[in-house]
Amino acid sequence: MKIGSLPALVRTTTFRLALLHASIFILFSASLLAYLYYETAGHMSRQAETELNAEFQELSAAYRGGIDRLNQAVTERSQARGKFYYLLLDGNGQKLSGDFDVLPAAAPAGQVVDVQFEYDARTPDGEPSRLSAEGRISRLSEGGVLMVAYDVGQLGEMNRRISEVVWRSAAVGFVLSLIGGVVISRSAAQRAEQLARTTEGVMAGDLTRRAPVLGSGDEFDKLSEQLNAMLAKLERLVISSRSAGDSIAHDLRSPLTRLRNRLEAGLKDDDGPREALVKSIDDVDSLLETFNAVLRLSRVQAGATGSFRRTDVRGMVDELAELYQPVCEEKELGWVYEAKGELFVLADSHLIAQALSNLLDNAVKYTPVGGAVRMTASHDANGDVVISVVDSGPGIPAQDRERVIERFVRLEQSRSEPGSGLGLSLASAVAEAHSGKLVLADGSGPPGRPGLKASIVLPAA
Amino acid sequence: MKVLVIEDDSDAAAFVKGVLSDAGHFVDVCGDGDSGLKQAKGGEYDALVVDRMLPGLDGIQLMKGYRDSGGRAPALFLSALGEVDHRVEGLQAGGDDYLVKPYAPSELVARVEALGRRATGEIPTTRLAVGGLEMDLLARTVHRDGQKIDLQPREFRLLEFLMRHAGQVVTRTMLLEKVWDYHFDPQTNVIDVHVSRLRGKIDKDFERPLLHTVRGAGYRLEA
Repeated sequence: MKIGSLPALVRTTTFRLALLHASIFILFSASLLAYLYYETAGHMSRQAETELNAEFQELSAAYRGGIDRLNQAVTERSQARGKFYYLLLDGNGQKLSGDFDVLPAAAPAGQVVDVQFEYDARTPDGEPSRLSAEGRISRLSEGGVLMVAYDVGQLGEMNRRISEVVWRSAAVGFVLSLIGGVVISRSAAQRAEQLARTTEGVMAGDLTRRAPVLGSGDEFDKLSEQLNAMLAKLERLVISSRSAGDSIAHDLRSPLTRLRNRLEAGLKDDDGPREALVKSIDDVDSLLETFNAVLRLSRVQAGATGSFRRTDVRGMVDELAELYQPVCEEKELGWVYEAKGELFVLADSHLIAQALSNLLDNAVKYTPVGGAVRMTASHDANGDVVISVVDSGPGIPAQDRERVIERFVRLEQSRSEPGSGLGLSLASAVAEAHSGKLVLADGSGPPGRPGLKASIVLPAA
Repeated sequence: MKVLVIEDDSDAAAFVKGVLSDAGHFVDVCGDGDSGLKQAKGGEYDALVVDRMLPGLDGIQLMKGYRDSGGRAPALFLSALGEVDHRVEGLQAGGDDYLVKPYAPSELVARVEALGRRATGEIPTTRLAVGGLEMDLLARTVHRDGQKIDLQPREFRLLEFLMRHAGQVVTRTMLLEKVWDYHFDPQTNVIDVHVSRLRGKIDKDFERPLLHTVRGAGYRLEA
């Protein structure tokens, strides 16, 4: 993100959160500072207030002895040069004693009133100075006025300093938390930006783009990982449907062309089109079969399968064995079936049965008379459930094993056999849909003609 | 049999009607779900053939409505949707069978006739008999002309299905579905092998064969 793009920054969620965070921080520190102020400056004011009250109490005690007693007390106190300044006037407004000469001009009327005023005084060094004072004026019951005041200059200075500190701290805190917010926001925005760039790239058609994973394990990393997993799956699906499209175009075009030629020839054939029609129906049937197989395969690969249940593999394999054993015997193939242990998987049993049936079809189809087919079901060393179909046919060379799982791929030597070239693709897709895999290996034949061992490996449930 | 076909595609409807009429059935056709439901409730039909995708009321809703109103006629769904969950949905709605398009005409006839038989003959029975062939469903034994025939459990079920549909054509797909509960077609001739083994047991030592192969369609057990 560029520094200049501030409006975009302001729009980001993280920035707003940072701002909110800053505001909460300000509010919090403001309360803290207010408390601090209350406890320091406020305390001093209250302290002065309390002392003033005490002073008045003592003086009213003296006043109970008469105005002269009071006059005496005021004089003593004034001379003692304490914290307070005094003024005592008689009923005629004449000064009796004290530090001031007259009442402050702004003194409000009333029996007992608080006043704030300024006055000219001399410092202890004799320098003239103007001071701020606060005090209380009390009109005496027998005429006369008593004022007690104290200098607030010192106190005021303290208050000012404290509030200044408070405001500065608040300002500094606000700026710092804003800066922090911007920093956090920018790093988060950068990650979001990277994700956005990844998806933009994908939308532009580059399915190999992946979001960066920094390894910090934070939310963005998790999000990136999820996104990458999704993109990987998407890429697989797109590639598979693309190749399906290619394969369909390739594998269906030639039989359709053949069908068309046959029908056309039948039309010209004077002996009657019956023969051509019969063959055409066979062609159409095999086309439909291929088409159904493609659809089923796409459905399985897209994950749109039926519900998975905990399924007893043994029961399923027993039934398939029973279905295929006579077929093998008919073709004079040796047949062995072994199942060991309790074999349960989470599966759509129809799909698994179909996948296994494809493997068995292949084994029966490609194993020559006199060969052998063996089906086994057991746990492997990892505890996974493995169902294998082993034959003694020609096998599949190691370098071709990846390829034959792709759609429509048929090896040269199998072209003469009927089939769509989708059997192993479907078996593999079914295994993958169950979080398992199809493994191809050499079978039970002698070297040179090793046969095939096709195993479906499924996680046990 | 009197059959009601509810199918919106007029070509497909004409095809179904033609196939069933040729097999000797009386066929009425309805082109949409609402009038189809009305007609199914009103007429005395032996079987319904219902397309799954219909304008207005679709096949599933139609079937539910028909069963809710007390309709009893057995019904066969026709659909291009052939996955197991689609079948289950159709059967749960009250259908009795499910045939995926495209299908062979013989398959359609065989299934509709099997439905009609089921509706009339589904009385709990303990004995089945075809010609000299007798099956005791309780003792799980089979005799032909008084001679005991030993069958494997699956062969027994296969023969039971054939005997329950004696005189009708039964297709390979029907056998796979009803006897093995597999809803896919193996590429190898598994069904033929099993049927020929069964034939070896019930027909081999007898003069008159009971189990016939119907070319291009399937099998028929008939005295």
